[in-house]
Amino acid sequence: MKPVTLNAWLGIALLAAAAQPALAASRTLIAKDSEIAFSVKQMGVPVSGTFKRFEASIDLDSAQPTASRAELTVDIASLDTGDDDADAVALDKPWLDKLGFPKATFKSSAVRALGPDRYEATGQLAIRGKSREITVPFETQDEKDGSTWVRGSFTIKRVDYGIGGGEWNQGDLVAPDVPVKFKLKLAPVR
Amino acid sequence: MNQTAPLSSPDVRYGFVAQALHWLTLLLLIGSFSLGWWMTELQRSPLQVQLFAYHKWIGVTIFGLVALRLLWRLCVPPPPLPAAMPLWQRRIAAATHGALYALLFAVPLSGWLMSSAKGFQTVYFKVLPIPDLIGKNRELAKLLEDVHETLTTLMLVLVALHALAALKHQFVDRDDVLLRMLPRLRRS
Repeated sequence: MKPVTLNAWLGIALLAAAAQPALAASRTLIAKDSEIAFSVKQMGVPVSGTFKRFEASIDLDSAQPTASRAELTVDIASLDTGDDDADAVALDKPWLDKLGFPKATFKSSAVRALGPDRYEATGQLAIRGKSREITVPFETQDEKDGSTWVRGSFTIKRVDYGIGGGEWNQGDLVAPDVPVKFKLKLAPVR
Repeated sequence: MNQTAPLSSPDVRYGFVAQALHWLTLLLLIGSFSLGWWMTELQRSPLQVQLFAYHKWIGVTIFGLVALRLLWRLCVPPPPLPAAMPLWQRRIAAATHGALYALLFAVPLSGWLMSSAKGFQTVYFKVLPIPDLIGKNRELAKLLEDVHETLTTLMLVLVALHALAALKHQFVDRDDVLLRMLPRLRRS
């Protein structure tokens, strides 16, 4: 058997050195390709919208998922349902109250792997000044250019965050659950 | 052609089904139009969201009823018009009826498309989602809103013409055209 040469060892060491920090590096969000969307049912009709502006700081570590972390800040005023009247209601005080609470944030506390390219993040979601622990399953998909898609969805209960009080809470006019979908594109590791 | 049947004969009037569908359509039109007028005057509110839902449900219902009516009309042809009625009147009547049927389809259709373009799906009675043919699109929504309003106005004019013509037959011509669409109240 041929002994492993010094060169090969060096090569492996170099690869490891290159790969290690790369995996844990913070990834830049490609905002134009990323999307955070939600949907609220009114009289059975899903009214969907997106947030146009948000920032994310994400460390994705596929080798050691538990070392991954994510922090997102959403600019509430950037909400867009495609309908000006609906936007105005959604941003008004009983709903998201953009003046009182201009930002919504998510900060992960733990990430665990569910399977290949499938993970689950647990963390605090704060909307309208109220913070709740949520669990967000997500999937990752690496692109050829080195960028990575992070896609997932979760559902929040409006009442947990005091979204949409008063007259809007009569009967079952507006569904209590709000499904949220996100796709984030992370730039290649530099 | 041009057969003159006495009023008491059974085929001089529309049958029960045709009459029921006709008057139900009118009732729903009145309801839908009133709701449409009311809801567009309101600020965005829970009431407005409800009224929009009702308006859309009625629109879908009218669309379905008109489809039924046309099918029924194919199976059971309408009773003949009075023999004395001049050809030009028959032509105008046929054209008005044709246009009314077309508008009874076109107005709900334009409303459904407008709703889709505005990003609000139509969910019949909260349970049956009607697919969106087009996606959310602000400019298209505005255009379809104009189309929906214009077609509605046109329909209103034709409904008025239709009703006035029926009254003219009853009180000026004194023929039995209006009675064709009324249940038999008396024995003649």
